[in-house]
Amino acid sequence: MSKKVSRRQFMSYTLMGVGGFMASGMLMPMVRFAIDPVLQKKDEGDYILTPQKFDELTEMPVRVDFTIKDRKDAWYKSDVSNTAWVYREGDTVIALSPVCKHLGCTVNWGGDENHSDQFFCPCHAGRYMKNGENVKGTPPLGPLDEFDVKVEDGFVYLGKTKPNTLV
Amino acid sequence: MNWTAQDMDTYLQQIEYIDTLIVPLLKVETTPGDMKRSASSSEFLMHLTMFIETQFKGRMMLMPPFAYTTSTDLTEMAATLSRDLSVAPFKHVFFLTTDSAWTSIKVDGEVIWLPSIPLENMDPQLRKTIIEDQLRQALPRFMEKWSEQ
Repeated sequence: MSKKVSRRQFMSYTLMGVGGFMASGMLMPMVRFAIDPVLQKKDEGDYILTPQKFDELTEMPVRVDFTIKDRKDAWYKSDVSNTAWVYREGDTVIALSPVCKHLGCTVNWGGDENHSDQFFCPCHAGRYMKNGENVKGTPPLGPLDEFDVKVEDGFVYLGKTKPNTLV
Repeated sequence: MNWTAQDMDTYLQQIEYIDTLIVPLLKVETTPGDMKRSASSSEFLMHLTMFIETQFKGRMMLMPPFAYTTSTDLTEMAATLSRDLSVAPFKHVFFLTTDSAWTSIKVDGEVIWLPSIPLENMDPQLRKTIIEDQLRQALPRFMEKWSEQ
């Protein structure tokens, strides 16, 4: 006998049930918010495939053109073509941005006959070493930016630009 | 530099470096038979000037295009432009156009005439190559002026 639930027990079970339900209603979102950074998906789509094969790279920088598809600028969607100077150093691939740090012209490798192993900016004769370091005494005040690079299936992928890490 | 408020701020700070003005001259034809060709050449001119701007951003200011219709008196337009542009503090002024009429008109600055190439049916890669080739055609003219000082 005595399987009967007393009035007191009934009350405490009900209150615990309802209270627990309400507490979990409050705690669950809090826990979800707290662990959210861990659950964030990594954005792998930032790397863009270029037509450049890894095997064909040498120590000589080559121009690589690539296109960022469907870049959104507010409501305006467009394909943006972009360029990088890419070369190999041992097994690492180095990609430099062609944008001059002086006023934003486009620099070329070996554009100056007297300094064929440097990057040259035709606007104000700015020069950079192969690793992007600005040559002192020419207008640019900082080194060329660098692209994030990865190699997959033999092709070079380029990501975002970052401040030069080689100099 | 583009003709935008942001680039203009940079220009005003770096006024001694940016000494070249690029002025696109755009002929707008209004007879139905010529409209397609006119649109195509304006597309070509805009692509080309935008490409030149990205290559020489730190030395050139690209003006918005000056458009005119078929019966515009070009001599008068040239005189007005020469007068007004001479106020701007640019050492070199280049007019870029696909309208051959400008080659025989006297204007302060260099007129660079380029034959229009229809870009509309080309794939992006070929288009890029063509535009680069066209810039290579015009490049000696810029370099010559810049080296004069």
